[in-house]
Amino acid sequence: MSQKVSFTLNGKKIEVDKGLTIWEIANGQGIKIPHLCHKPTTAYRPDGNCRACMVEIEGERTLAASCIREPSEGMVVFTETDRAKSSRKMVLEMLLSDQPEVNISHDRSSHFWKMAQQNEITESRLPKIEKERVPLLDDSHLAMRVNLDACIQCGLCVRACREVQVNDVIGMSGRGHDAYPTFDLADPMGESTCVACGECVQACPTGALMPATVLDEKQTGDSGDYDNEVKSVCPFCGVGCQVSLKIKDKRVKFVEGIDGPANEGRLCVKGRFGFDYIHHDHRLTKPLIRRDDAPQKGLNVDPSNWQKFFREASWDEALDFAADGFKKLKDNQGGASVAGFGSAKCTNEEAYLFQKFIRQGFGHNNVDHCTRLCHASSVAALMENVGSAAVTATFNEIENSDVAIVIGANPVENHPVAATYFKQFTKRGGKLIVMDPRGQALKRHASHMLQFRPGADVSMLNAIMHVIVEERLYDQQYIEAFTENWEAEKNHLKEFSPEKMSEICGIEADVLRDVARTFAGAKAGMIFWGMGVSQHIHGTDNSRCLISLALMTGQVGRPGTGLHPLRGQNNVQGASDAGLIPMFLPDYQTVTDDGVRNAFTEVWNSGDFSSQRGLTVTEIMNAVHEGSIQGMYILGENPAMSDPDVDHARDALAKLNHLVVQDIFLTETANYADVILPASAFAEKSGTVTNTNRQVQMGRKAVHPPGEAKEDWWIEVQLAKRMGLDWTYSDPSEVFAEMKLNMRSLDNITWERLINENAVTYPSLSKDDPGQAIVFGNGFPRQNGRARFTPASIIPPDDVPDSNYPMILTTGRQLEHWHTGSMTRRASVLDAVEPEANCSMHPKTLRKLGVEPGGHVRLTTKRGSIVVMARMDRAVSEDMVFLPFAYVEAAANILTNSALDPYGKIPEFKFSAVKVVKA
Amino acid sequence: MERIADVMLKDQDRIFTNIYGMQDRSLSGAKSRGHWSNTREILKKGRDWIVDEMKASGLRGRGGAGFPTGLKWSFMPKESDGRPAYLVVNADESEPGTCKDREIMRHDPHSLVEGCLIASFAMNAHVCYIYIRGEYIREREALQAAIDEAYEAGLIGKNASKSGWKFDLFLHHGAGAYICGEETALLESLEGKKGMPRMKPPFPAGAGLYGCPTTVNNVESIAVVPTILRRGADWFSSFGRENNAGTKLFAISGHVNHPCIIEEEMSISFEELIDKHCGGIRGGWKNLKAVIPGGSSVPCVRGENMKDALMDFDYLRGELGSGLGTAAVIVMDQSTDIIKAIWRLSKFYKHESCGQCTPCREGTGWMMRVMERLVNGTADPAEIDMLLDVTKQVEGHTICALGDAAAWPIQGLIRNFRDEIEDRIKDQRSVQNIAVAAQ
Repeated sequence: MSQKVSFTLNGKKIEVDKGLTIWEIANGQGIKIPHLCHKPTTAYRPDGNCRACMVEIEGERTLAASCIREPSEGMVVFTETDRAKSSRKMVLEMLLSDQPEVNISHDRSSHFWKMAQQNEITESRLPKIEKERVPLLDDSHLAMRVNLDACIQCGLCVRACREVQVNDVIGMSGRGHDAYPTFDLADPMGESTCVACGECVQACPTGALMPATVLDEKQTGDSGDYDNEVKSVCPFCGVGCQVSLKIKDKRVKFVEGIDGPANEGRLCVKGRFGFDYIHHDHRLTKPLIRRDDAPQKGLNVDPSNWQKFFREASWDEALDFAADGFKKLKDNQGGASVAGFGSAKCTNEEAYLFQKFIRQGFGHNNVDHCTRLCHASSVAALMENVGSAAVTATFNEIENSDVAIVIGANPVENHPVAATYFKQFTKRGGKLIVMDPRGQALKRHASHMLQFRPGADVSMLNAIMHVIVEERLYDQQYIEAFTENWEAEKNHLKEFSPEKMSEICGIEADVLRDVARTFAGAKAGMIFWGMGVSQHIHGTDNSRCLISLALMTGQVGRPGTGLHPLRGQNNVQGASDAGLIPMFLPDYQTVTDDGVRNAFTEVWNSGDFSSQRGLTVTEIMNAVHEGSIQGMYILGENPAMSDPDVDHARDALAKLNHLVVQDIFLTETANYADVILPASAFAEKSGTVTNTNRQVQMGRKAVHPPGEAKEDWWIEVQLAKRMGLDWTYSDPSEVFAEMKLNMRSLDNITWERLINENAVTYPSLSKDDPGQAIVFGNGFPRQNGRARFTPASIIPPDDVPDSNYPMILTTGRQLEHWHTGSMTRRASVLDAVEPEANCSMHPKTLRKLGVEPGGHVRLTTKRGSIVVMARMDRAVSEDMVFLPFAYVEAAANILTNSALDPYGKIPEFKFSAVKVVKA
Repeated sequence: MERIADVMLKDQDRIFTNIYGMQDRSLSGAKSRGHWSNTREILKKGRDWIVDEMKASGLRGRGGAGFPTGLKWSFMPKESDGRPAYLVVNADESEPGTCKDREIMRHDPHSLVEGCLIASFAMNAHVCYIYIRGEYIREREALQAAIDEAYEAGLIGKNASKSGWKFDLFLHHGAGAYICGEETALLESLEGKKGMPRMKPPFPAGAGLYGCPTTVNNVESIAVVPTILRRGADWFSSFGRENNAGTKLFAISGHVNHPCIIEEEMSISFEELIDKHCGGIRGGWKNLKAVIPGGSSVPCVRGENMKDALMDFDYLRGELGSGLGTAAVIVMDQSTDIIKAIWRLSKFYKHESCGQCTPCREGTGWMMRVMERLVNGTADPAEIDMLLDVTKQVEGHTICALGDAAAWPIQGLIRNFRDEIEDRIKDQRSVQNIAVAAQ
């Protein structure tokens, strides 16, 4: 029960919840009090500095800022007295005097002008500030403009940068009338450490900070100048930020964050400024068929000049061509000769249709997608020990934690909006334990930074758990109530003393002990992990350790506790849920179970397919080499870039008899295609996606696909019809309705609800339940409701350094680029910020090699060799190389190892022995 | 006008016995003048006794606002909720005209150090910070030397004056911003942040330094505490009119024959203060034009209204619409361009505005620019009222009192010297007319 307080507002006695401000209460009563420095959202605290919201309180000499003042019992407040009103008007008048004229202002629809108009302030009696004191335009940043002549010193940009996004770039420098927002040490914005999240731009009430796309050359603009606004979801990472796309002349003009459950209005550089890839002139606009006289298949097509290789075709011709190729293979070689890769970038409905297409159309389970390359091992471990592959708590739950572990994840670059919550957690005093072989931006916020030896996860985690057992820090009551196999785990851990393990993992025993005590002593602890944990041949073991750690300390199922593998793709959770996995049907129902298959074939109105688990991504590529698979349908996936030992994968693609690629660009994979079907980008279609938090969200069509490009689900349906399948879908909502029939996770979640509410978290317990942020408070979806401890032993990496390949190569992403770069390298802002393929090495290593920062090195592994520019970065250990994999000109996966984790079948992207020489 | 005694404050009733630095300012010198005598006994009487005695003495804060010191102390939590309590001494003496605290700190520092101990003890604070103005270099050295001496002699420290009370005293040197004399900006600065005033509530007694209960007191307010407690509340309250008790340091500057700092009884008449201690007004009483009786932020008063004025809080406020402030008395004779003098103050406040809130940031700059035109007479007569209007819009609408401080001198000017402003505009216009006619 919240406490109440009663006070008198404009003569009316009212009772309200304690903690509300006078402004909020008045606003709720329909009283319009102007506000400038106050942004009425949960993310921003009130500051009370602009004094545009002053009200009179009986008995007080001075007026009070209503945005920050809470009423006390018996207080008498007047909002509309002459004194209050005239003081508010005077504030607006004072500020107006220094503003550029409205018709030449940077933002004609700014919040400031709305407030001025609402209070009937059109001109100022006060003279303008001296011209020489007005700061000059700062257009050093590609994506944003800083015109401080419109600045009213409200400090919203400072709060945006320091408190909401916790980037600490903007500060207020100077004093009096010369106080202005300043980037770092008064650097131009473009040269500062700004990460271009654009939070300040969205917060600015005057247009002093504006997206560059909204301003013309004279720096005038209008944020209200758009034809329509579409609420949708960001197409990049698994955080699933809700966005508002502002459409002008059928193009996206700019993007703002809106109040989604995961992002609360925040965005990162990709979500805010990375939208224009959809308007890139490389977009495929017509179906293409490989020419009879085309040169041999290879990575040899220029996406802007493909005419020598392909010819344009009508949809009918292209679809017939695609389907005929599949039919021929099916008829002659059997259904197993055709396999499919779906995509985690498409909607749930499209993922569902894709797996149905393969299973129903070809009678087997050889369908997979990129989850195999990211969290397959986490899923394997979670399914095995917890009984569910999804997160047990949303990442926003860190709000209620006091200790959190982030291991093998670099959220500041890969999940930037999630990272803002992590940083806020530390600002509140939360202890953040970061474990990563590479130093990273969260280090600055961490209470413990464990920069351990790459591949030594199990030894480190077992040592920590050893201490918890040894010092009896575990939660006996929880273990007894909710787990099994504890004795085996306990015995197993005896061997892993911190003293012994510290030699392997490189972390001092005392530190391991301290971390054990800190985490075990938490009132509420969370564990987050990423690819650094999963992309190893022991990825499943790594995850098992993390699950065991959470179980033995009882850190699951309560507010502020949980296991959270941070999902990479915008819909990797949803695509996996929808059954785009060779061993599972939708909702992780195993294909080997006859009853399960039966339930699906009943809905599909067709015969049984296969009780055999299907092949995974890498296994399919091997099967192509062996000749058992000769045709593939690849939707939105780019194995010619993303697979490990990518030359091997490219050779496989070249070997295929019939390759149908469906994508928005002529990707590296499409280079090898026989037919290319032009698809729609995320902003060009409707459908649902599921983020890392299990939040099912509605994506809406904002613009039409270019040319004749079509929605992916439509293409899938057309192909299915041509394959003789009885598909009649005319809208994604029909697909969603069918999915619900066999997916309990979607209970109480309907298409209509998603249209109205934008997001519902599963599980949702009733029609009104927004969904459960935390699950498994009362046991697990396993036998007897118990989670399991699975002991993990140390397995060394597959490709260990030797005298020929003495260093360790690890791969990953950069803030600006997304996966294989097909989208982000065509987004003008993102590509301009990070235009060149690069790797990072320790300064000492570079000196030894005789390479200046910015010079080039040759990286060689047992699989291949590339030349790439080298950066100096102390975060990387001296014997390591960090290589982002977004660049086709120096594709990291030419070098990576395709050795697999035995359970998750995930390749060891994170560890290869490498030789580095000056190029 | 009930003041009876027409005699100078006796030496034996002076609290500051070395204000001119004529004697030894070291610990032994201070001891010889009675400081640090039986401090332990005072502490032994307990917190409640000290607070009650301070309340009974009628001491009002010497930093300008005149809030009863004992009452302020009583706002501090009696029992800790786990958070420490702090005493912070505001030694950021930066107001134009005010220079009394520096004399205490450089010549009589032990009165302050001892006061810090007793006051902290009374407020359950084991730590006290003194925030000293950036420009006060020698003062800092003298005060630090005194603190070191006190530590060495065991008067403060682990077992301060053998009372069993652990007490640490830190001297923090500011960086020269006037705004850091505002109590919450001072706390921000002390925490290592940019000195910008905080929104109130919460008040420092509830959440001050590092979010803990804090009392901020002026140097003089704390430095008089030991003597008050030694000689008794009755002794102190026997000086001055009711509600304006005690003795007070007056700092008289400007057009008097002998500018000086003098400890006098509160409620002394202005005439007596000037004639007895300052050798009279330069050029005689008829030559007196205006007085700013309490430091630059209080409104000025016309000379003829000042002569009989009683120098205390209530009289200056109630009868003259001005204030005692810090008792920094700025005297101006007929040679003064009063408009320009007030313009100079406007310029000061504009320069020192922190820029956080709109009315002060925009208002101080604008007011100075209009004042500039009043000085040279180029303003429109209508601008006088508009200026007055703006000062009313700034006053009471800002986060801290700097907005008020910038507004009041101008209000005082317009209230008292409107004729002079109007005359100047008229003169300027006729000069222009003549110039035009001559062309």
